[in-house]
Amino acid sequence: MKISLSWLKEFVPYEGPVEDLVALLTRAGLEVEGVQQLGADFPNVVVAQILESNPHPNADRLSVCRVDDGSGEPRQIVCGAKNYKVGDKVPLALPGAVLPGNFKIKVGKLRGVESEGMMCSARELQLAEDADGLLILPQDATVGAPISDLYPPETVLEVEITPNRPDWLSHLGVAREVAANAKLGVKIPAIPLPPTKVDESQARTEAVEACPFYSVRRIRNVKVGPSPDWLKRRLEVVGLRSINNIVDVTNFVMMELGQPLHAFDTAKVKGGIVVRHARDGEKILALDGKEYPLAATDLVIADSGRPVAIAGVMGGEETGVTESTTDVLLESAWFAGSGIRATARRLDLHSDSSYRFERGVNPEGVLAASERAVQLILELAGGTADDAVVVAGELPKARAEVTLRFDRCRRFLGVDFSNDQIADALSRLGLEKLSDDGAGSVWRVPAFRGDLTREADLIEEVVRMLGIENVKGSLVARPAPTTPADAAYDEAMQLRRTLSSLGFSEARTSTLVPLASHKGYSCLSVRNPLGEEQSALRPTLITGLIEAVGRNLNFGANRIQLFEIGRVFAASTEEEVGKVGLAMTGQKSVPSWRNREVESFDFFDIKGIVEKLVPGVKFAPTEHPLFALALEVKVGDSTAGVVGQLAPAAARELNARGPVLAAELRLDLLSAAYQVREFVPIPKFPAVTRDFAAVVARGLPYGEIERVLAEADESLLCEVRPFDVFTDDTGAKLPANQKSLAFSLTFRSPERTLTADEVNAACDRLKARLREKLAADFRE
Amino acid sequence: MEAQIESLRHEALAAISAASTAQELEAARVKYMGRAGAIPALSEGMRTVPKEDKARVGKALNALRVDVTAALEAREKALADEADAAALAGIDLTLPGDAAPLGSIHPLTQLLDRAVRIFRRMGFALADGPDIETEWHCFDALNTPPDHPARNEQDTFYLPDGRLLRTHTSTVQIRTMTAQPPPVRIIAPGAAYRRDEVDATHLAQFTQMEGLCVGPDISLADLKGTLEFFFLELFGADTEVRFRPHFFPFTEPSFEIDIKTRALSGKWMELAGCGMVDPAVFEAICEQRGDRAYDPEVVSGFAFGFGLDRLAMNLTGIPDIRMLVENDLRFLKQF
Repeated sequence: MKISLSWLKEFVPYEGPVEDLVALLTRAGLEVEGVQQLGADFPNVVVAQILESNPHPNADRLSVCRVDDGSGEPRQIVCGAKNYKVGDKVPLALPGAVLPGNFKIKVGKLRGVESEGMMCSARELQLAEDADGLLILPQDATVGAPISDLYPPETVLEVEITPNRPDWLSHLGVAREVAANAKLGVKIPAIPLPPTKVDESQARTEAVEACPFYSVRRIRNVKVGPSPDWLKRRLEVVGLRSINNIVDVTNFVMMELGQPLHAFDTAKVKGGIVVRHARDGEKILALDGKEYPLAATDLVIADSGRPVAIAGVMGGEETGVTESTTDVLLESAWFAGSGIRATARRLDLHSDSSYRFERGVNPEGVLAASERAVQLILELAGGTADDAVVVAGELPKARAEVTLRFDRCRRFLGVDFSNDQIADALSRLGLEKLSDDGAGSVWRVPAFRGDLTREADLIEEVVRMLGIENVKGSLVARPAPTTPADAAYDEAMQLRRTLSSLGFSEARTSTLVPLASHKGYSCLSVRNPLGEEQSALRPTLITGLIEAVGRNLNFGANRIQLFEIGRVFAASTEEEVGKVGLAMTGQKSVPSWRNREVESFDFFDIKGIVEKLVPGVKFAPTEHPLFALALEVKVGDSTAGVVGQLAPAAARELNARGPVLAAELRLDLLSAAYQVREFVPIPKFPAVTRDFAAVVARGLPYGEIERVLAEADESLLCEVRPFDVFTDDTGAKLPANQKSLAFSLTFRSPERTLTADEVNAACDRLKARLREKLAADFRE
Repeated sequence: MEAQIESLRHEALAAISAASTAQELEAARVKYMGRAGAIPALSEGMRTVPKEDKARVGKALNALRVDVTAALEAREKALADEADAAALAGIDLTLPGDAAPLGSIHPLTQLLDRAVRIFRRMGFALADGPDIETEWHCFDALNTPPDHPARNEQDTFYLPDGRLLRTHTSTVQIRTMTAQPPPVRIIAPGAAYRRDEVDATHLAQFTQMEGLCVGPDISLADLKGTLEFFFLELFGADTEVRFRPHFFPFTEPSFEIDIKTRALSGKWMELAGCGMVDPAVFEAICEQRGDRAYDPEVVSGFAFGFGLDRLAMNLTGIPDIRMLVENDLRFLKQF
């Protein structure tokens, strides 16, 4: 909302600098988002008329003008602009003037010709952002008059008002806050309330909950016309357009007192006014020129036949005040906020009026605003007002009584404000103390503060008035036991460090993903997405990471390792699960001057990473919608995740030059990696290692050798490590249907140094077993 | 005999000093000191030396043995030193180092972790809640009226079953209080969602840090002290912290926190919201729990929340919020 400083000062005699006012309002919780200086407030800048213009003798681009500054003595001014003609009136900065940027105007020579001042552009006077050439003033401007006569200075505060303070939605309301904080009196215009009468033939409300109170006042024989300059200017400054004197008065009073008003052309309203809910199929052409279909939940102001206004939101075009109007009905009402909000939202029609009704207007200001507007209309448009206001319904009760316990207030704030300080703070805000026994006090809240209903509300006002800067911060640290969330957090941070030391960079991808690219999953979707791209909750981290891999490939990265720790979602009993995702592709190491031949990452690189992250991991073959090669990652009997390689075609689509690998693991099943480990004695006796090359059927997986060796239960065997896999498609060195698997076996005893004989015996037993179970052939 | 010793000394020492490789030196050692070498052979000759000369000749022979051994050792060391020097000579130390690349931790995570560590020093534990929430946890329990603008389909993502993606991490306040009796001292970092069109300063998903402290006699002074401590720890001792009255439905009084610090442009910046837990929130918790553990007459508390995305941007000079989720390695590796 815009607050005009001069308008504000009509209600409160605040004389400090505007920066202090901004600080005061900010401290009070009324955020000032900007301060706008309108007009031109420059002493020694006057209206001048150009009498003649001649070329500068020494400069092609300059002219030498003689101008009349109203002193009777023409001045010589050197000027660079071209957009004027002789006879134009322009702003002239006389010697002594100071323009923005502390630009002091002096008599001086420009290329050898004396200039006794400077003619100004709009930008030089900060009247426009950019403007070339001189500001040409209207022909009726008075020569010699200060420029501020044409552009009166005005300070406008752009304020952001929190929804709990509808009383600030007017100049009077903000003035009250300034007065309370600056300990000034507020000058409230005395408005004698008019007599009221009930006349259901003129106005009645059929919806007492949505509209508890309605009033109209009839003013006859008005002369509709343009508003006087002062009124136009008031509205312009706060961002409203002047329409005519009647409409302008209703807007003016709304900005002044906070009560939205509406004026109907009586001649166009048929019969009495009824406040009711709209009927099915009813429509209204509103003042914004658009037709709105109405629903049974919308409150309308209707005449005998049709809606004439969307109650509290906007009047109807057909019954609006025009140049030909002679007789007006001035509406002032109190509508319940929730109904107005629902209608404004449903119709997507938000007005200054709906904004105020939604938040709640002061019940005790309804009739006062009506009377204020009537007085102004009579003053500006003539006519006669009916003696009484026709009213329907009753105003809601305002002025709650609230108890405040002084000790409670002090304890809650943690500061020793005295009873007197507390009472003074509340009194300044217009609260009236009804009783006080030293421990507790009862306060009557002013009608415009409907937000104050509880003790907590009063305590808030106390600290607002006395200032949180007077509350000294205290620190009461108490130990807090570790929660499951703490443990999970620490494990995730440890995992991040491990992965980053393995070369992975942490990514953050969007939780909201396209539903279409997650067809194989049971996705949870969003009912009102911002587009297909964000229509589902991600069921996996892998797709987002793969997308990030693709982006990095396009950026020219040749080695990509990304991870993400985050939640994934599924339409199942386990709706949200924390996971870590990994994706990698490209060069296994960085090419350097020592190492020019660089291999690409392949499946065994990511499998190796998973083995490092998950103690005791096991793998099982699996199918996966994203992968051409995939293994299920198992911890005990539970599925911990998947590791795989993208189909080569999908990798090519990403412009990858080698395999694209990814894995995803449940965080909760990684916990074992972070448990306290038990000490295993360091071996005292040396190990013996023997290498073997077994020739087996080409299709036999290496895992079979490991399985057969493990099943042998050879107590001295402590490690099996494959170190070569050899095949020969030509059949020259090895039949093409066979392969040679080279592996080393390590033997060790915790009790003694092994003898060659016992190692040889163990090796023979193992080889015999491999021959028997897998038809392995050993070459010596 | 003595003449033989002298001549052998000359010969051996000359051979040793002439040896220019380890192999030549070893050959010289074998030739003179080896089992069948010249010096042991000479020792054999001792038997023929007359008795009266034995002591003198033996001494001379021993001296020869000691001198040749010393010469061998000296030459061996000299040759090793030469070889070592040759091995290291000519290495161009201006060539760049070459180590396995490190990964990196996301700048947002790094900031979040700093914040977590500061609050943990003050005795806050972590708490957690789901991203998918009920309207009750996200709005009703937080004293947000049914027709509050934030509950709009325009601003909040809803699931088809009427649940929603939490619009703030304040839901964890409710989760925590319904699950455990006071006292509560928790922080809850996490994702929150608003139906914002993505641009340089907005993402539909952002990261927040929530905090809640509830107990008997928790006061506004505790709130102020805790958050002042936090921001001074985070930004340095030259940081100014300003509490500005504001409005949130779930706290009363409510404040926004502005920070002025050299670490963040030196201008006042709005960074966080906070306040004393509104009695209506405690009443909603009591109703849900079916007890009076959070009776607002018995306990009081404070809550706070702030966004980490913009803070990370401001601290590091990241110009566009989308960079935080683009996952460009040239960006990620900078932090």
